[in-house]
Amino acid sequence: MSSAEPISLYVHIPFCETKCPYCDFNTYAAIEPLMPTYVAALKSEIALWGSLLDGPEVHTVFFGGGTPSYLPSEDIRHTMKAITTAFNLAPCAEVTLEANPGDFTADKLAAYLDCGINRLSIGIQSFDDDLLQTLGRRHNAADAVHAYRQAADAGFENISIDLMYGLPYQNIQQWQSTLAQALELAPPHISMYCLTLEGGTPMERWVDQGSMPTPDADLAADMYLMAQDEMRHGRYRHYEISNWAQPGRRSQHNLTYWRNDPYLGVGPGAHSYLGDCRFSAIKSPREYIRRMQSVSPDSCGEPMRAMISSVPVVDEIEQIDTPLEMAETMMMGLRLDEGIGIAGFKERFGEPPSHFYADTLDELERLELLHTQEDALRLTHRGRMLGNEVFSRFFN
Amino acid sequence: MMCDPRLGCPPPVERLYGYVPNASDVSYLTTVSLRRHPFYPKGLLHRTTSSRGFPEERVRNFSIVAHVDHGKSTLADRLLETTGVIEEGRQVLDHLPVERERGITVKAQSASMVHLHRGHRYLLNLIDTPGHVTSATKCLALWQPLRELCYWWMLNRVFKLKLWLISCSPLRQTSQLFLSSTRLIFLSPTLRESMSSYTTSLDSVLKRAYSPSGSRDKPLCVLLFDSWYDHYRGVVCVVAVKDGSIGVGDEVSSYHTGLSYEVAEVGLLQTKRVPIPRLYSGQVGYVLLGMRNSTEAHVGDTFYHTGSKVTPLPGFIAAKPMVFAGFYPMDQSEYPVLRTALEKLTLNDSSVSVFQDSSVALGQGWRLGFLGLLHMDVFRQRLEEEFDASILVTTPSVPYKVVFRDGSEQTFLNPAQFPEEVYTVEEFREPVVLGTLVTPDEHLGKLLSLCQDRRGVQQELVYMDQSKVLLKYTLPLSEVVIDFNDQVKSLSSGYASFDYEEHGYEPAPLVKLDVMLNGRVVDALASVVHRDKAYSTGKTICGKLKDNIHRQLFEVAIQAAIGKRIIARETVKALRKNVTAKCYGGDITRKMKLLRKQKEGKKKMKQIGNVELSKDAFLSVIQR
Repeated sequence: MSSAEPISLYVHIPFCETKCPYCDFNTYAAIEPLMPTYVAALKSEIALWGSLLDGPEVHTVFFGGGTPSYLPSEDIRHTMKAITTAFNLAPCAEVTLEANPGDFTADKLAAYLDCGINRLSIGIQSFDDDLLQTLGRRHNAADAVHAYRQAADAGFENISIDLMYGLPYQNIQQWQSTLAQALELAPPHISMYCLTLEGGTPMERWVDQGSMPTPDADLAADMYLMAQDEMRHGRYRHYEISNWAQPGRRSQHNLTYWRNDPYLGVGPGAHSYLGDCRFSAIKSPREYIRRMQSVSPDSCGEPMRAMISSVPVVDEIEQIDTPLEMAETMMMGLRLDEGIGIAGFKERFGEPPSHFYADTLDELERLELLHTQEDALRLTHRGRMLGNEVFSRFFN
Repeated sequence: MMCDPRLGCPPPVERLYGYVPNASDVSYLTTVSLRRHPFYPKGLLHRTTSSRGFPEERVRNFSIVAHVDHGKSTLADRLLETTGVIEEGRQVLDHLPVERERGITVKAQSASMVHLHRGHRYLLNLIDTPGHVTSATKCLALWQPLRELCYWWMLNRVFKLKLWLISCSPLRQTSQLFLSSTRLIFLSPTLRESMSSYTTSLDSVLKRAYSPSGSRDKPLCVLLFDSWYDHYRGVVCVVAVKDGSIGVGDEVSSYHTGLSYEVAEVGLLQTKRVPIPRLYSGQVGYVLLGMRNSTEAHVGDTFYHTGSKVTPLPGFIAAKPMVFAGFYPMDQSEYPVLRTALEKLTLNDSSVSVFQDSSVALGQGWRLGFLGLLHMDVFRQRLEEEFDASILVTTPSVPYKVVFRDGSEQTFLNPAQFPEEVYTVEEFREPVVLGTLVTPDEHLGKLLSLCQDRRGVQQELVYMDQSKVLLKYTLPLSEVVIDFNDQVKSLSSGYASFDYEEHGYEPAPLVKLDVMLNGRVVDALASVVHRDKAYSTGKTICGKLKDNIHRQLFEVAIQAAIGKRIIARETVKALRKNVTAKCYGGDITRKMKLLRKQKEGKKKMKQIGNVELSKDAFLSVIQR
């Protein structure tokens, strides 16, 4: 099948030098020997999808993980080559690579630019050295700033940084200082995430056992409000619950998720949403490699689900029917400051949101979590903070 | 018969192996010796078809008394191994899952074994007593009239005597239990661990225990001391024959119920039933009477041949419930399941009293009376495990009375029935009991405080002898039904005893305690309390709700009130932040699952005005 709509492409790199104690992503330390076979398998999968989907147009690419910058730059180059061969990469496509401040060298950065990467996302997390140690990061604040400047000097214009708040031991002054330093650096895009303790992580265990204090939810709320206030001093638009961008610098790749538009994920544990199916790949890198090694490309032109199942690395498939697609569009779209465009929704689903969600929307308005304007539905300030309370109401 | 009397008594194990084996050797030795030794072939009694060859002087009845956890059942198992009744290593006498799990014995049973001593075969009956306080007392008091039960006390390692009955002077114990004429054997820790000691111990039982004092020639007199329900055969009665003999086909009657039965089967208990033609005086075993309802089998009852004269054995005890609780199905749709489960389980345990009950919030249910908290816990566990029932256990209510100005009276159980117009009420009354406590004087102070705390009024305080005190207190029933007896036992380390009888009603200033959430009254959480207890009860309820009501979009004000007067209050702060930080490709499926679950959770909540009340929060207040 040929996809009429351009899709976003996500590439998963499951390697890290060390694993951070709060992380529950599908990534592993100490499996470096798998890198070569992994890259080969990745290229295989990309080629397979290219042929199955008949060379669709790709408007954003995102290298995530794990630590993509931990891979040798040659491998990134090879992968980009495979992508441009298999897919129709748009000329002004946004191509992002996630990076760890400890990995930057001038050579690497030059190589990235050369093979088509035009955006970097740097995982800084904090400008406080003590907190960085608590988080188990392998860089300090000075390294982070240095890395940022290196990237800017090398020629990257579109750089994003990640920050975290709601951390154990973090007080509001430390957060304020981090915000100040971030504003001074003035990157085009900033993501700020509240720490979530995920089950099975060392950090969750420490908090459970009492050797680490439980993060204070009210303090986290205050930190979020502070971030909102401080960011107004820069030229940032708070365009999504956890993301701020200067004009023209919103993350195009992530907007795909929030607009509930189609995307393909390649690599172990990667998630995709094509046609009416949301599916994910097998998580284990070893198994991923093994399965890709045994593949032979098959016929196209089958219904979406059957076609997807023919890719051996696909693990879980979920079929999204229209009501669910609608509910998810509402939930994801409300995260954006542009909200849910009424016209766009009507075009996609045939009727405006009020047709399907009259009661829910009324209740949310009454609770002052949402407001309806002429052109769009948007969350109020309070609605942003209590997003889950809003979103869960869209399920029937 | 394998055992040749001319060979005499088997040599002690040391002579066989040249050393005294230690504990870890025991099971190995048991295996070896039982297989090779000619004197204890397995299944000795299984081949015996009659117990006629055991006259009273060749019978001994004994019991092992020990605190919960002291390895009494293990000892019993070792004895059964030694005498060839069971295979080594099996634990047989505790057979309910709850018993194995909690390491306690719930049902008392006997096991018969044959011991060879100096060329003679003796029939030894081990009576297994439950370890927890209430039942053991009753068990022992039961046997007292037979006067032939030898008690075997177990002491623990460091002689720090945890035995609930032991004190520094055993005689004191015996006087408390009226067992002055009974023989005692003390088992020390070292003895317990070596195998030869088991044989020696059995020898001591022979020497120290009295042989039963009854006679085969007298008219039949049988003591019933336990029963259980068998699905196929009906009630199995565990009995001790005092006089005469009982056999298949005999017509017998119960002294206390007056009902008559035909004996269908008679036999010995050796981890399973071993039928024999007759049981003779002094012997212990079981009878099957074709009884279909275990409420007919009263512990302590006397059976005799229908038509003949008999003096009933003393010691008939009607079990008096000490702890009450409301038992409700989690969901009214499960009421029939729970009702069936209760019927079946009470067949097996006739010491549970059952009354119908109902509640505004929970619908139809029961109020059950138990002998103690442990009894209740075990009962609940059995209901849940054996019948797959899901149960809500609530603090029980007592029936209150209201006397109106116009003279009419009304009894009510439910807070919903509390009279609205208080001006029509002349007075309220609550049920009281007359409690009798007997305690050693060193625990007197604590027990006096307890009674004081529970709004007791002292009626009598008398020293029975130098160290024992008798107390009589009138106590409100509502203060007794929850855990009074267990408190008495725990404050006195098990030495004090408590009994009670109904004592009518007395005036009491009762109030209705309401619970409100953001100004709205929650009917299901209302309760009726004594005015003096209103504040502490209100505070406790508010505290529990505060801990269990989740933070919501608005602040939740929890209030306990009497009429319009607020007497306690707590607040749950409004929720400020509840949003998933990250929402990218890989997060979406998981996030949707989470939100869906939250939505489902919301459906299960009860909406009280603008407050969402979860089932757990609700249960935290009404559950025991």
